[in-house]
Amino acid sequence: MSIFSFFLKRRKPNKPKTIAQLLQELKRSSDFVTLELQGSGHRFLLSYFDSLIDPKLLQQQVLCHLQRDVSNYPSLSVRDLQRIIPVQRIEITSDVQTVEMKLLRGFALIQLKHDDSCCALINLASDHLGLRQNNDSENEFSVVGPKVGFVENIGTNLHLLRRQVATPNLVFRELTIGTMSKTKVVIAYIDGIVHEQTLETVMQRVNDIEFDIVFDTSLLDQLLSDNSSSPFPSFVSTERVDRVVYALVGGQVAILADGSPYVITGPSTLFDFFTSPEDYYLPWVLGSFFRLIRMFGVMFSILASPIYVAVLTYHYEMIPKDLLGPIIFSRSNVPFSPTLEVLFLEITIELLREAGARLPTKVAQTLGIVGGIVIGQASVEAALTSNILLIIVSLAALASFTTPIFKMSNTIRFIRFPIIFFASFWGGVGIAFAICLLLIHLGRLQSFGNPYLVPLYPLRIKDFADSFIRSSYRLTAKRPSYLRPRTFWRYDPNKAKQKKDIDE
Amino acid sequence: MKRLLYLMFIWTFLLAGCKSSRIVDQVQIIHAMGYDWRNGMYTGTAIYPTFKQGPMTKPDVLTTESSTTYDLIPRLSSKSALPIEEGKMRLVLFGKSFAKKGISEIVHSLARNNKVGSHLQLAVAKGDAEELLRITAKMTLSDMLYLSNLVEQNIREMNLPNTNLHIFLYNYFGKGRDPFLPYFEKKGNFVKLEGLALFKDDHYVGRIDLRQSFLVKMLLDETKNGVYQMPIAKQKQKGRVLLENLYATSKYSLKKGKEPVVDIRIHIRAVIRDYPIWLDLPNQQAFALVRKQMEKHLKKDISSLLLYFQKKEIDPLGIGDFVRSHTRHWNEKVFYEQYRQLTIRPHVKIDIVQTGIGE
Repeated sequence: MSIFSFFLKRRKPNKPKTIAQLLQELKRSSDFVTLELQGSGHRFLLSYFDSLIDPKLLQQQVLCHLQRDVSNYPSLSVRDLQRIIPVQRIEITSDVQTVEMKLLRGFALIQLKHDDSCCALINLASDHLGLRQNNDSENEFSVVGPKVGFVENIGTNLHLLRRQVATPNLVFRELTIGTMSKTKVVIAYIDGIVHEQTLETVMQRVNDIEFDIVFDTSLLDQLLSDNSSSPFPSFVSTERVDRVVYALVGGQVAILADGSPYVITGPSTLFDFFTSPEDYYLPWVLGSFFRLIRMFGVMFSILASPIYVAVLTYHYEMIPKDLLGPIIFSRSNVPFSPTLEVLFLEITIELLREAGARLPTKVAQTLGIVGGIVIGQASVEAALTSNILLIIVSLAALASFTTPIFKMSNTIRFIRFPIIFFASFWGGVGIAFAICLLLIHLGRLQSFGNPYLVPLYPLRIKDFADSFIRSSYRLTAKRPSYLRPRTFWRYDPNKAKQKKDIDE
Repeated sequence: MKRLLYLMFIWTFLLAGCKSSRIVDQVQIIHAMGYDWRNGMYTGTAIYPTFKQGPMTKPDVLTTESSTTYDLIPRLSSKSALPIEEGKMRLVLFGKSFAKKGISEIVHSLARNNKVGSHLQLAVAKGDAEELLRITAKMTLSDMLYLSNLVEQNIREMNLPNTNLHIFLYNYFGKGRDPFLPYFEKKGNFVKLEGLALFKDDHYVGRIDLRQSFLVKMLLDETKNGVYQMPIAKQKQKGRVLLENLYATSKYSLKKGKEPVVDIRIHIRAVIRDYPIWLDLPNQQAFALVRKQMEKHLKKDISSLLLYFQKKEIDPLGIGDFVRSHTRHWNEKVFYEQYRQLTIRPHVKIDIVQTGIGE
């Protein structure tokens, strides 16, 4: 105990003791409405948050029936309301906590004037009010394949999942997280595929979360991750339904939160971040080719500018003889060292990206042109950077956009900078050193206790079928073993091989 | 443990300041270097590009004199605005007088220099190296590497055997072999490749022409290029044929004994590119005749070349090295004492693969 404990002491909110006190408290807010109704000798008190309920429902399902049918019940009790009001969920309770919770979720409270100890809670919440209806996947686009994406409404999201995975084994487990937001969080998995230990880890971690408001699943992502100070995302978060379904079928667990169009799937490996659903919609040769291009893009994006710095600062011997002229010529008027030159351009591009992401779409286009062409060209003309670097940096930026998962592409944007510094201090040795550090870090990373670099490390040769290349579906009948699924076969590989042509 | 890690990080970044950087546009990158021996003084000539005004800039030449070879490059530095870097050097040219005096100082220095690559070309100039380098300095920047490109082109396509610093050092330091280098001559405003300069240990002793260098190329390695012109005669008609090598192999064998004999079996698959009109080559008889004459001629040429080597007591083909690999307790000194008397018998076999299309 220190003297600071006085400040840190948790003040317990004094909770209302009775329903009447609770209502009194809630009345402070102007959108809390209490109506007094009279009908055939009975007097009701109807209380609700005007901002949370659906007025149409209130009129059609509650008021209408109350006024018409109450007369049939001469001695009305709260329980009779269940028969009168045709709403699916009516709860009878006298627990103040429950009442508070439900009122804040858009329930309406009905009390009888003569008996206010017990009350009925009617679900009048308007689920779709204020939420977008459009569920195109906007940020993870693919040309082929379904374009359905998740939305902010968790009910819709669960529906989307359940519709595609028509098996009783798809289990949703609901939890409430957030001391203030009371957000509904659903953990989805396919029983009989997912490894129990993984599931246990997930459940335990989610249960242990202590937070006030869950704005988005990306918060959960950070709270759940094994190493929260790593720049690498521990879990894939996606807005595409097919990605989540694919993860579930592979033996992963999905975490959905109300109010978030992104769904977390895990345990993830590094490769998961570089696979796009489109790989699976294209023939395997093309899918593999584009996947390799993507991985090359990532390597290029990380290493291009550090190598430029290292070569121009320390290893001019490495420059091919025909390139020596153009490089020296374009650099001869630049007043900065290669390091500063690279940092200047890289930060310019980061600024452009950041500004483009914050601005409205229409303005962002203009910005792209102004930034990309005007600034790029002008800085070369003003001899602030060399032509060749401009090409290298913009190619690297372009290559980093090929990563399908936005979080990973952010990571790639970031880790370039330390490597640039290493290159500027140590040259090629520095780059090698930085890559070693990166590999060590990746080798130590885990996602829900699962190694991050699998199948590379620990080496799982059989699981390479769907890593660097996307093999034909004949070869991917087995689930990847590193997730330790309970059942290995996705489908019967022998049947899948058969060609049922008529002439055979 | 953690503290140690942080300290290491700090150390590394502090230490990084100690490494001198050589930013590519803040050094004077030498493309070619020439060495001469004139009037008791060594002359060093360096050619370097300056990329300031545009791609049409001409390269610059720096010359300096000194009484030793060691401080030529430092003396060049005192004439240059930027530090001189030899990391991208493509050619080192020796003047003939310098080569006669011995090039071992430069060679040893190059062998230990970690900046220069082993693809560096060495060559000998008939007159002064400086004179030749001044010719290349008149070229525009795009032709800067004129001399080294010339050597590489001739190695790749024509009669010059494969040479570079690596091969030179192998021949120089290896027992039972002597180095050779391309030999340049100034012809007007151009530089012409004139064959091979032959070395004994580190000094120039003689040269052979380009035609003979094809034979050396063939005898050294299997090759896929080179042309060779030979006279041909049928009854009273005389003419010349041009043989273009497609694929030639040479195989050495040693007959041990009191008087050891080295046999060289050469097999050439060739095209006859040009031949006199009177020669009716598709004709089997003419074909056999040409083949026989060519084999005989080539054999004679090779024999005289070998004799020349023996007379000069040099061994660019590495015959000593070959004998060493087949002899226990081989002694370099003893071998080269008897080198003049060694019998070397060439056997040539030519396969004419084609003579071009048409009748």
